[in-house]
Amino acid sequence: MKAFDYAAPTSVADALKLMEPPHTAALSGGTDLINRMKDYVSSPERVVYLKDIDALESIESSSKGVSIGAGATLAALLEHGEIKKTYPSLWKAAYEVATPQIRNMATVGGNLLQRPRCWYYRAGNGLLALKDGKSLVREGDNRFHAIFMTDGDALFVNPSSLAVPLIALGAKATILGPKGERTVPVAELYRVPKGSQERELTVQHGEILTKVVVPATHAKNASYEARHKQAHDWPLALASVALEMDGQKVGSARVVLGAVAPVPLRSEAAEKAIEGKALNHESATAAGDAAVKDAKPLSMNAYKVQLTKVAVKRALLAAVGDRYWEEG
Amino acid sequence: MAAWPKEPRLIGTKVPRLDGLAKASGKAKYPSDVRPEGTLFGVVLYSPHANATVKSIDTAAAEKMPGVKGIVVIAGQGKKLRFQGDDIAIVAAETEEQARDAVRAIKVDYEVLPHCVTESQSMDEKAPQVFDGGNVRKARAIVKGKPEEALEKADVVVEGTYSLPVITHVCLEPHGLTAQAEGSSKITAWASTQAVTVVAGELAGSFNISPADVTVLTEVMGGGFGSKFGADIWGRTAAELSKKCGGRPVKVFLDRAQEHLAAGNRPSATGHVKLGASKDGKLVAMIAETYGTGGVRGGSNFPLPYVYDLKNSSRAHAEVSVNAGGARAMRAPGHPQGCAIMEAALDDLAAKLGMDPVEIRVKNLAEVDNVRGGRQGETINRTPMYEAQLKLGAELIGWRDKYKPRGENGKGVVKRGLGVALHQWGGGGAADKQVSCTINPDGSVEIKSATQDIGTGARTILAMITAEVLGLKPTDIKSNIGNSTFPPGQSSGGSTTTPSMSPPCLAAATQARAAFFNKIAPALSTDAETLSLKDGQVWVNGEPTMSWKDACRKLGMASISETGKFADGLSSVGVGGCQFAEVEVDTETGVVRVKKIVAIQDSGLIIDKLTWESQVYGGVIGGLNYGLFEERVMDPTTGVMLNPDMELYKLAGASDIPEIIVRAYETEEMKNRGVIGVGEPPTIATAAAIANAVANAIGVRVPDWPMSPRNVLNALASKEGKA
Repeated sequence: MKAFDYAAPTSVADALKLMEPPHTAALSGGTDLINRMKDYVSSPERVVYLKDIDALESIESSSKGVSIGAGATLAALLEHGEIKKTYPSLWKAAYEVATPQIRNMATVGGNLLQRPRCWYYRAGNGLLALKDGKSLVREGDNRFHAIFMTDGDALFVNPSSLAVPLIALGAKATILGPKGERTVPVAELYRVPKGSQERELTVQHGEILTKVVVPATHAKNASYEARHKQAHDWPLALASVALEMDGQKVGSARVVLGAVAPVPLRSEAAEKAIEGKALNHESATAAGDAAVKDAKPLSMNAYKVQLTKVAVKRALLAAVGDRYWEEG
Repeated sequence: MAAWPKEPRLIGTKVPRLDGLAKASGKAKYPSDVRPEGTLFGVVLYSPHANATVKSIDTAAAEKMPGVKGIVVIAGQGKKLRFQGDDIAIVAAETEEQARDAVRAIKVDYEVLPHCVTESQSMDEKAPQVFDGGNVRKARAIVKGKPEEALEKADVVVEGTYSLPVITHVCLEPHGLTAQAEGSSKITAWASTQAVTVVAGELAGSFNISPADVTVLTEVMGGGFGSKFGADIWGRTAAELSKKCGGRPVKVFLDRAQEHLAAGNRPSATGHVKLGASKDGKLVAMIAETYGTGGVRGGSNFPLPYVYDLKNSSRAHAEVSVNAGGARAMRAPGHPQGCAIMEAALDDLAAKLGMDPVEIRVKNLAEVDNVRGGRQGETINRTPMYEAQLKLGAELIGWRDKYKPRGENGKGVVKRGLGVALHQWGGGGAADKQVSCTINPDGSVEIKSATQDIGTGARTILAMITAEVLGLKPTDIKSNIGNSTFPPGQSSGGSTTTPSMSPPCLAAATQARAAFFNKIAPALSTDAETLSLKDGQVWVNGEPTMSWKDACRKLGMASISETGKFADGLSSVGVGGCQFAEVEVDTETGVVRVKKIVAIQDSGLIIDKLTWESQVYGGVIGGLNYGLFEERVMDPTTGVMLNPDMELYKLAGASDIPEIIVRAYETEEMKNRGVIGVGEPPTIATAAAIANAVANAIGVRVPDWPMSPRNVLNALASKEGKA
């Protein structure tokens, strides 16, 4: 990797100052950035280590919800009783990330702001992997790539497992920068890059993600992840749902899809399909079908359409305690 | 002449590896851990292109970089680079980081040429040529009987195309060595190798010195699986750099990406198969057209037909060259491919006939399938062995209660299925190896041989044999291997280490015991014939008389040293085996979970039951990875490997490992055959058995390995006409 300046501030204020120069990267658990640096995919001139800042680590719950510091590890998130009890969709998604060793190091902020795992990007072809005006992804091996929004050039998938339930739960992210603090819905941390020079993240140079706040909720919520291996693997499709119930029926629903588009994708079609319905196999299947209505798979990933359908169906049924696929 | 003891104390028991604690605790020094004083670090510059010519190379800037002590150019101006990962140069520097930076400062001007990196690219008529003479070399069909005619008369015929991808060895310790040259006349190398003798010979050759002037040391090593027989260009260049750098040791070990790209692989295999049988399930004919790629090195052929008796068969294989790293021997080369394709076709045939898969296998074993017995000229029929193994395996997996025909495995979305497959292997010994055994006056015992422990437990096995003969404990024996200057030892390939090394070890220990008895008998006022050894005691006429240590003191100043040679009747060759798999397939997600594997294996006389079982567990886990996860993914456009890592190159983690039941088929008849190797056979049938279990569960063949959600869902979709 390229040699770099290194700083390890202990306060957010110091970190902000250190983040000012161009070509500076924030380092947290290191499970993404370090690999990118080793592979020369990212070569920052300065690295600012944020894990010595205690203020970024806390997880606090109150009547308004739970505030999760960006520096909290996934392991700490999993140990928090309130998360497991009230936000099982978030707990489950975090539980399925990587390995215990990685969850001990990786942080909530790092999970949200990690860069795509697209193997063309990681091989040094740039985020959009365009060569001579052609998409390497579209022409090549796209088995793990997007099945939604595939008319554009951004064919990678958003890699964050936590963003999916956080968006379904209506969480907000707090970002601190030279111009002060701003709060945005988690969905707005991401965008579809329009050109090679644009990043898929909206966090600007010099800014630090400090926390996410998940509002208090009575919504039934759940996540379902389809993956190849049981151990250490990336989701092939992930769905999170949050359902405000109206008696036996679904009042309002949030359905969010992960690993299938360049951004975590809210599926309004699936939400509409389930709202006003009693939750059962039929309605859940219909919502799954609705979720993939606009899917346009690439040459090698039509199977992900099926996985997305099933992920939505299973997340919905899991929210009401039906885990039929575990019955054998 | 030495013979295996009829009532052994140690042989056949479970003895933990002598170096197990050191390995598990991190105390053991692997070759890649060794850092002699003054070590320089070597880093390889390799081709980023699948096909290119070096127009020019300029190392001037790199040579001036901090810490750089030497650069050797491997591919100079005009040289062809045939795959991503092909070697260009190696830089030696004071630190690894400095060497990496310097590698990036070497300026190479490439003429990038068109490439083909997949079989389909390469087989296209307009494909660029990997080598002159064409990308596809089709061998003439090997024909037995009259297959076309017989197939026409068959009652039932199945036709299918099955394919297995290229996979790589993924040794946990990468390839490499640290070399230290003493002028131009001597070299010492700490090498991660499965053949210290071969590495010594190669290094000697490149320095034009005698192999006796090269010392290759492999105290322990982290996996080879067939890919670590030689010094390789990396090791030879390390020695050259050491010479260039005034004899400072130079360490060159590959990184993970290079391991995938350049350090070998198991070739792919695709087979278009027609298999016919009569109504009663007896095979009548097989016609198979197959191809595979061994990258730039070839070697993709594999045995087919496999195991079963076919009076009429035709088999034509085509070798396809692609611009990708060359194949190397990989644990039972060829057999897992042949087994998977044969067993899949046979299972599809059984399903079409509505026949039980175990029954159809028994029915199609040859009447006589002779392998070697205990001594030269003796034979043993493998068919009854297979039958007994299938019976035992079927009981252990619960075949009778659990097996349901295809498509009848429950109403839920998760289907259970069972599968079975048979395999075979050689595993015999070489007859020219030696072991020395030294008994010292202080009671210590040392054995030596220039073999190495690739992981099979060679060190422990040789200590057990010696301890058995001398009435001592295995931990009493200093078991010295992994040094090329010791008496000639076997390279660890073909499951030959234990069958090659056990006989000379037994001979050495037995000769040393005889010499010891002759030496000490007078001091004990008895004849040598009255002496025996047991429990660390010297026994006279069946009475414990003196401790081993005290008796050794009677040797005075002189040690006893004997060199044992190979003898007939102590080892044999030719094994069979069968494996059963039970899987769960989620038909909505295509996710396969293996619940249980039963592995039945014969291998003659087993020395250490514990390391023997470890070999079978390891083989099964390797086969499970082949069945479920592994695949080298090449990009057709850029010509590079897309998953040269351990993340998207998928391998099982702990939670992917099922219950594994291992049973030795070790009858008296088997024990009488002597020692046979077991490293390779247990990895052959696993991927085949898993795929058959998947087909049984979901009612449709998944023709492409690995059994990934993508391949399983695609097969399910094609069944429903949605493909």
